[in-house]
Amino acid sequence: MMNLRYLLPEWVALGVFILLLIAEILKGDVKHPDAQNIRSFCITSLLGSILVCISTLLFLKKTGTAFGDSFIVDPLSAFFKLFFILTLFMMIPISYAFFNKRRERLETFLLILWCTLLGMFFLASANDLFVLFLCIEIITLSFYIMAAYLKHELPSIESGLKYLIIGSLASAFLVFGIALIYAAVGSTNLPVLHQAFVAHPGDRMLVLGMLFIIAGLGFKIGAVPFHLWVPDVYEGAPIPTVAFLSVGSKAAGIFVLLRLLFQVFVLTDSQRALLFSTLSALTMICGNFGALKQTSLKRLLGYSSIAHAGYLLIGFAVGYSGGITGVLYYLLAYAAANLTIFLVMAIVDRHLQSDRIEAYAGLAQRSPILGACFFIALLSLAGVPGTAGFFGKFLILLAAVHGGFLWLTLLGLVGVVVSLYYYLSVVRVIYAEEPAYDEAIPVPLSYRLTLILLVGGIFVLGLFPAPFLLGCYHTAFMLFQTPLS
Amino acid sequence: MILLLPWIPFLAAFLIMLAPREKEFLHKQIAVTSCAVNFAIVLWLIFHFHPEVPGYQFAHRYPWIPFLGIHYQVGLDGINMTLCLLHALVSFTGAIVSCWPKDRMKEYLCFYLILTGAIYGVFTALDVFQLYLFYELTLIPLYPMIVIWGSKNKAYGAMKLTLFITGGAMLALFGILILYRNLGLQSFDLLEMRKNIEILPMNPGTVHGLAGIFLVGFGVIASLWPLHSWSPIGYAAAPTSVSMLHAGVLKKMGPYLMLRLAVALLPDGVHYWANTLAVLSCVGILYAGYAAVKQQDLKFMIGFSSVSHMGYILLAIAVMNQATLSGAVLLMFSHGVMAATTFACIGFIYEQTHARGVNDFGGLAKKIPFISTCLIMASFASLGLPGFSNFVAELLIFFGSWSQYPIIVSLAIFGVFITSLYLLRMVKSVCYGAENPRWSLLHDARTIADKLPFVILLGALMLFGFWPQGLLRMIQPAVGALLS
Repeated sequence: MMNLRYLLPEWVALGVFILLLIAEILKGDVKHPDAQNIRSFCITSLLGSILVCISTLLFLKKTGTAFGDSFIVDPLSAFFKLFFILTLFMMIPISYAFFNKRRERLETFLLILWCTLLGMFFLASANDLFVLFLCIEIITLSFYIMAAYLKHELPSIESGLKYLIIGSLASAFLVFGIALIYAAVGSTNLPVLHQAFVAHPGDRMLVLGMLFIIAGLGFKIGAVPFHLWVPDVYEGAPIPTVAFLSVGSKAAGIFVLLRLLFQVFVLTDSQRALLFSTLSALTMICGNFGALKQTSLKRLLGYSSIAHAGYLLIGFAVGYSGGITGVLYYLLAYAAANLTIFLVMAIVDRHLQSDRIEAYAGLAQRSPILGACFFIALLSLAGVPGTAGFFGKFLILLAAVHGGFLWLTLLGLVGVVVSLYYYLSVVRVIYAEEPAYDEAIPVPLSYRLTLILLVGGIFVLGLFPAPFLLGCYHTAFMLFQTPLS
Repeated sequence: MILLLPWIPFLAAFLIMLAPREKEFLHKQIAVTSCAVNFAIVLWLIFHFHPEVPGYQFAHRYPWIPFLGIHYQVGLDGINMTLCLLHALVSFTGAIVSCWPKDRMKEYLCFYLILTGAIYGVFTALDVFQLYLFYELTLIPLYPMIVIWGSKNKAYGAMKLTLFITGGAMLALFGILILYRNLGLQSFDLLEMRKNIEILPMNPGTVHGLAGIFLVGFGVIASLWPLHSWSPIGYAAAPTSVSMLHAGVLKKMGPYLMLRLAVALLPDGVHYWANTLAVLSCVGILYAGYAAVKQQDLKFMIGFSSVSHMGYILLAIAVMNQATLSGAVLLMFSHGVMAATTFACIGFIYEQTHARGVNDFGGLAKKIPFISTCLIMASFASLGLPGFSNFVAELLIFFGSWSQYPIIVSLAIFGVFITSLYLLRMVKSVCYGAENPRWSLLHDARTIADKLPFVILLGALMLFGFWPQGLLRMIQPAVGALLS
């Protein structure tokens, strides 16, 4: 069955991508970028992402397959597609703020963003291990380019190179795992694999393959012991890339883990609990303590993103709809807070000229709105009540207590206190220290609106979680209900 | 009415945020007015409060997150009514004190109002989730307030205070999550939890563990020895109105939450820890008293003094009977008002002199008679002189605990002597003795706006000193219901 209508969001996204590509080929000028051109590029991207968003919403409740079983539409894929497209929407102002002031080629960057998005969309619907791997590669390849995008700046190139090497290693793990599983089963179709896992739960080839795949995904989400690249790459890469890496790429990793772990692989509860609670404990400890002594804000956020991966992994250790609801909600909260922070960083980038934490001294005085947004976003990352981050942590820890993971819960709570130390140190610099330059940082209306949207999102997710919670719960519930067809 | 209490300050903070930066007077007007409105609401509630009616009054309940059984639920009994009155007094006077000239007034008032609203939220909430949410929300404005407008070692003091209290809050959250799981109610409703525990008791091991978690978790903010060390440093670093609110009201959230979550839900668990808690509180009384004697900085001294006073309240919770708990709630009120007055006096002097060593002054009674009188009266209240409500409260606690812990009570009474030692010494060296020529330009509170906070606070202290029944008639039935 072809069922091409299930691909509507992908068609729309592909349409926007091709439109932008043609426009870039016909009108793009690398040497002399035209401001009007760039603006129309951004507006087209924004409108396109709204269109994609609407077309995704149409398939929110539908389930079905296309392309002879290799493409699937289900609540999980719809949830992540919505997540990715909203992230892309917010990425456009971040990229505009960063690249336009630096006079770099914004159009090409947007094209790569759309290409990554297409990879993510097909990833969310992949029902075949091979397609899955292909999509991950599309995403990773785009990130290689994005990390090294500032081709005149050494740190950016270094970061791109590091990501290339580590990313290739991760891909090697993945492909080796896939090869082992294919060798054992003789198919790459996920439902078929699931049946094989059910039939031979202890098969060595399958287990080994599974572990290799989990390791490969560990690189993507930045979990210990595969986390070492995160701070280095974050430090050098341009801010929009870091934003997309920390939100989009991590979510993609989480998605694949969800899909494979709960719908394909067969692990007993105790095995999964042992594996993931160890990983999550180590990840939280490494991330939180690593962040304590950082002087570069991007490195600090790198370590903080490792710590957040640790919290997400608690949800995997717990499993069941409770834990997964927590994971999904946490991801939303994390995305809202991180995108706010990176938008602020992108806006102030040219004014501060540095990503050292000291450079942010007195930001609240130079621009109260940026200071306040940064403050709120940091609080949300730390998990302070009233913000989205708190409710995300609350759900995950509630699930952990219900599942009997008391020591992991306690570790998570200690992690909150530790993380508060480094987040508040940044707050202190922003609010209490005297700025090096007194001139105010102007914030145009469009950025103000975007910031209000993001901060509003943080508060809505934190104070009125009921509808989103139901959405996450429905998605998580369906993950365990519907076997892949 | 009661629903408005937390939201009026939040709304005012939002309005100030929107108002242009130059209009400082407008910001002050908004801040003070909103606190005054809240004060009026609390008074209205007190006049319409019927002590003889059992249960929670002015109760409202709206579904919030039905999926997890979380409601937005409010209500007042005698205990939190008293604490709301305390908070209304201190936050209103604190708002006036906040208007003393400083840099970046707009941001300060915003943070101050958020803090005020969150405390009202804690004292009116009847849903554990909501309670916890407001409780931790109070911590957030504190950090920037101390770190921007504080003095002396402020970065360290602010961080230590925030991390300690957050650590305690996290432990409490752990307890709340376990409680929620073990009750299996799918509800965070405090009243439902209580009913359920009466019908289906939990196993004793869990009860003991949970009570321990709550006592330690909330003990941090109640400055239970040895978890008190954030308190003197934090108060010394904080600006005046923050010290007032923190020593006066915020610290009382610790014992208040102990009453609501530990004493009401897990009385057996509290019994289990009673001896430990009594010993720790006694050590706290004596140790902090001794430390206060040794201090050279007025704010440090009062900080240690407040740790020492909190010991009496914790002792009362350890004994847990009608008399001691009534005394504890009354002492929370009296100590709150007293501590706020003292910090306001010290702040008033510090604003002009930027000095606050015990020996930096002398003869201030002649120079600034009004403030000195207030300081002396607050000190007398603090050392439990009859005529102030502290006296009645401490007496109730001592009488109530005598039969159970005679030795500890004797030691605690000795603590009162230590209190008089350092307070009288302070009064002597600050207010009397030779005049220090350095402060010849020091001026007294002249305007009504300057005097009003002191008048209100001391007036309340004396009103309920001579008429403790005014508060006790509300507190006693509520405590009875808590213990039954």
